Amino acid sequence: MSLSSLLLPAVLFFALGVIARLIKSDLKFPPDLAKVLSIYLLMAIGLHGGYELAKADMAIAFQSIIWALILGFTLPIVGYLALVATRKVNPLDAAAISAHYGSVSAGTFLTAIAYLDNLSVEYETYPLIMLAVMESPAIVVGLILAAKARQSIASRDADASAAVTTTGSGEKSNFKEMLRDAFTNGSVVVLIGSMIIGAIAEPSGMEKLKPFIDEIFMGVLCLFLFDMGMVAARRIGDFKQVGIVLAAFGVVMPLFGGAVGVYVGASMLDFSVGGATLVGVLGASASYIAVPPAMRLAVPEANPSFYLTLSLGITFPFNVIVGIPLYHAMAEAIVP
Amino acid sequence: MVSLYAEKLLNIIANDSLEDRLVCMFKKYGVSGYTILTARGEGSSGHFSDMSGFDANILVKVVLPESRVQVILESIERKIKKGHHLTVYLSNVEVITPEKFEKTLS
Repeated sequence: MSLSSLLLPAVLFFALGVIARLIKSDLKFPPDLAKVLSIYLLMAIGLHGGYELAKADMAIAFQSIIWALILGFTLPIVGYLALVATRKVNPLDAAAISAHYGSVSAGTFLTAIAYLDNLSVEYETYPLIMLAVMESPAIVVGLILAAKARQSIASRDADASAAVTTTGSGEKSNFKEMLRDAFTNGSVVVLIGSMIIGAIAEPSGMEKLKPFIDEIFMGVLCLFLFDMGMVAARRIGDFKQVGIVLAAFGVVMPLFGGAVGVYVGASMLDFSVGGATLVGVLGASASYIAVPPAMRLAVPEANPSFYLTLSLGITFPFNVIVGIPLYHAMAEAIVP
Repeated sequence: MVSLYAEKLLNIIANDSLEDRLVCMFKKYGVSGYTILTARGEGSSGHFSDMSGFDANILVKVVLPESRVQVILESIERKIKKGHHLTVYLSNVEVITPEKFEKTLS
């Protein structure tokens, strides 16, 4: 792991955002800027990836989707069991937190792409489909784990029947609604839609979009990470509330998910070092756009400070600064 | 002198992910309209909305006749029992066009 990886402009801007917040600068970005920028970033990467994927091997693309589903469904279960075993959080908090860790962070993924580009490491386009696929399954697992947790709490605690017997027909229709929300969530629509447009659009038309897709991409990523640095630093204040055990989970879980992801990328999907690094990043990252509102609605009993602080305040900075070079080193070690 | 008529003003502070559910509830139980503002602050649930778009709060204001208040409060209470963090307060207000608050949204 070299120091040069930390001197990436995008990572430096992330640090600047953190510092601006720590020194109490009056710097403020307009509300929703990070959301606007992430729509652009997903569009650009989707168009680029769709264009490349049109020329790709469909069998490998299909295999990537299967592995993305396997990761998306199993990582939150591992996270849940680990969290419950610590006895520091109740099962509903554990369900909500682990859903974040099964899903992915596009911001981390894009930073990894900037990192690989900077080192001139080649990577496959397939992890991009995996990014789109992995947004949603963890939300579904989170809902199922929360439903199980509610049942076990209800059976343990007979008095609480009024508050927790929410398994009626109303709950079922809510569950359906949540499933629909999970798969039609904004990031998924932007990413998959842009990939399809990139794949079917006339190449001459795509050529005209080049400045939009390629040339300003890194600059926008810097701006996005600048803003995200401030958002993350604001969450670090909640660190005390989260406690040392949960904070440790915010570092250990991405290391575990990253190692599993690199292994899947390298051994199961036969990707290059760059591709395996990206699958590692998918396994390691925790969602902060799609999953928090879904958990707010579906698991309102869980404490939002826990999952937001973990995913935004601990795991995201950890991955951007330490994780990505580490997963790259892991991939270098195991890709033949 | 302009006549004034008594109405109730319902204020709800909630996470913005609940907006659709609240609007749906208003339509179900009959209100004439509602106003939603982005809000930030800190309170009993220990977290504050950060205005970055990732975790924003909203302040919902609804003016309604007293006869329609109870049914909406009961629905809100059910949401709170489910675990949603809602801050709700009701106040007396006076309006000059009471007929405006009689019609219901479809």
